[in-house]
Amino acid sequence: MQILSKEVIFLITLTTSIFLIAPIFIIVYVSYYNKKKAKHLEEKEALKKTFELELLKSQFEVQEHTMETIATNLHDNIGQLLSLTSITLSSIKADSAQEGKINAAGELVVRAIQELRQLSRIMSGKELISKNLGHAIAFELDWLKKGTDFQVLFTDNTTRTSPQNSDNELILFRIFQEIINNIIRHAEATKITITIDQTDTTLSLQVKDNGKGFVLEDKLQANDGMGLFNISKRAKMMDGSFSIHSVTGVGTDILVCIPYI
Amino acid sequence: MPLYLSINTIAEITCFVIGLICLFQDKSLLWKSFIAYLFLVCITETAGIYLRVHHTRNYLIYTIYMFFECLMVSTFFYYIYKRYHHKIKLLYSWMALFLVIYLIELYTSHLKSFPSFTATFMSVVFVVASLYFYLLVIKDERFRHLGTYPPFWIVNGILLYYFGSTACNVFYDYLVQNENGIKATLSIRYIIFNLLNVLLYACWSYAFICRYYQRKLSSSSR
Repeated sequence: MQILSKEVIFLITLTTSIFLIAPIFIIVYVSYYNKKKAKHLEEKEALKKTFELELLKSQFEVQEHTMETIATNLHDNIGQLLSLTSITLSSIKADSAQEGKINAAGELVVRAIQELRQLSRIMSGKELISKNLGHAIAFELDWLKKGTDFQVLFTDNTTRTSPQNSDNELILFRIFQEIINNIIRHAEATKITITIDQTDTTLSLQVKDNGKGFVLEDKLQANDGMGLFNISKRAKMMDGSFSIHSVTGVGTDILVCIPYI
Repeated sequence: MPLYLSINTIAEITCFVIGLICLFQDKSLLWKSFIAYLFLVCITETAGIYLRVHHTRNYLIYTIYMFFECLMVSTFFYYIYKRYHHKIKLLYSWMALFLVIYLIELYTSHLKSFPSFTATFMSVVFVVASLYFYLLVIKDERFRHLGTYPPFWIVNGILLYYFGSTACNVFYDYLVQNENGIKATLSIRYIIFNLLNVLLYACWSYAFICRYYQRKLSSSSR
């Protein structure tokens, strides 16, 4: 009986050991599977982000191409028609009573041609950015000063341009246009300060206004910050950073910084 | 006094103290109820030792305790299943089934022995419940850091304890018969349950600490 008891005790000890090892293996397996799940989720998230960036790039390229086409059509077709109109008007030999009106019409057509050329240049980003970002911004600001009463201060601290960064410069220029549009439409500002700075590795754009400002959280909660969201996305597309600081009644300060080597 | 300080009681008291520190201010009533449950565990164990020292059989006190043990563990499983849209009917049905088996065994044994069949049946159900929880964790699309996920460590303790005690429960009658004449603290049943208790309460203590840090983290991030 004593021997049988020892055998049973051994059997119980062995069974208990197995019954303890088995759950440990299960726990280890669940933990391992969970880690794989985490990795899979991370990969899925990374793929989603890549897809979103690719989509954004495509959207940007399509938009840029469309604007380029419109700019070319404006310049080549409507511009040519206006030029012909101007030539035709200047060739008319009229009496002194009508000459004044014809000359006035001719001047209006010449102004229309100038405006059209400026507009087509603004729309054609690649051409505008071909010199550098500072030049493009200055050109845009000239256009802005004509139609509005803003006090504009522009400081260009850049010292160099690199052709391989022209695409990023173009995106930064479009961001600048978006910010300026937002200021005109919503900020109720009187003064805009624009500064572009450069380091060995970065290019930054800072736009400040003295408008009514806003509470960022409220904008984001109300889904009213699509423009800001797009700017942020575009900055991320270039591996850059986007920060915004706004105080109600004081104004808004936006800083976009992109890699520039 | 040293009689009352066995490996079992030390593990239980340590877990109770950790539970008291970590869960006292917890907002969840279920987690807080672990304090009361562990207090009951300590009282039961002390009373069990007292009866043993005075050469009185102590199975009755463990029989009563088994009901509260089943209630606590089952409620905990219901709580963690709830987030996977399980209904309370499941808990009621299981508790009703447990009570029927428990009372039938008590009636047939005329309260003269520990209801080992009910204990074995309860162990099997808790093992299945633990495995089902793992299945839900695996199937869940959300990721959780299991290393610091309190319910995971509570379930780990439950699985190790109840799966490990299956052999002892199955051979319970045989082991009790052969323990006559052997010092209680030297019996294989006692040694195995010591080991299982240490594993269970170590896992639970760790879960309480994780719960405490999670609570601290969430309150500081607000």
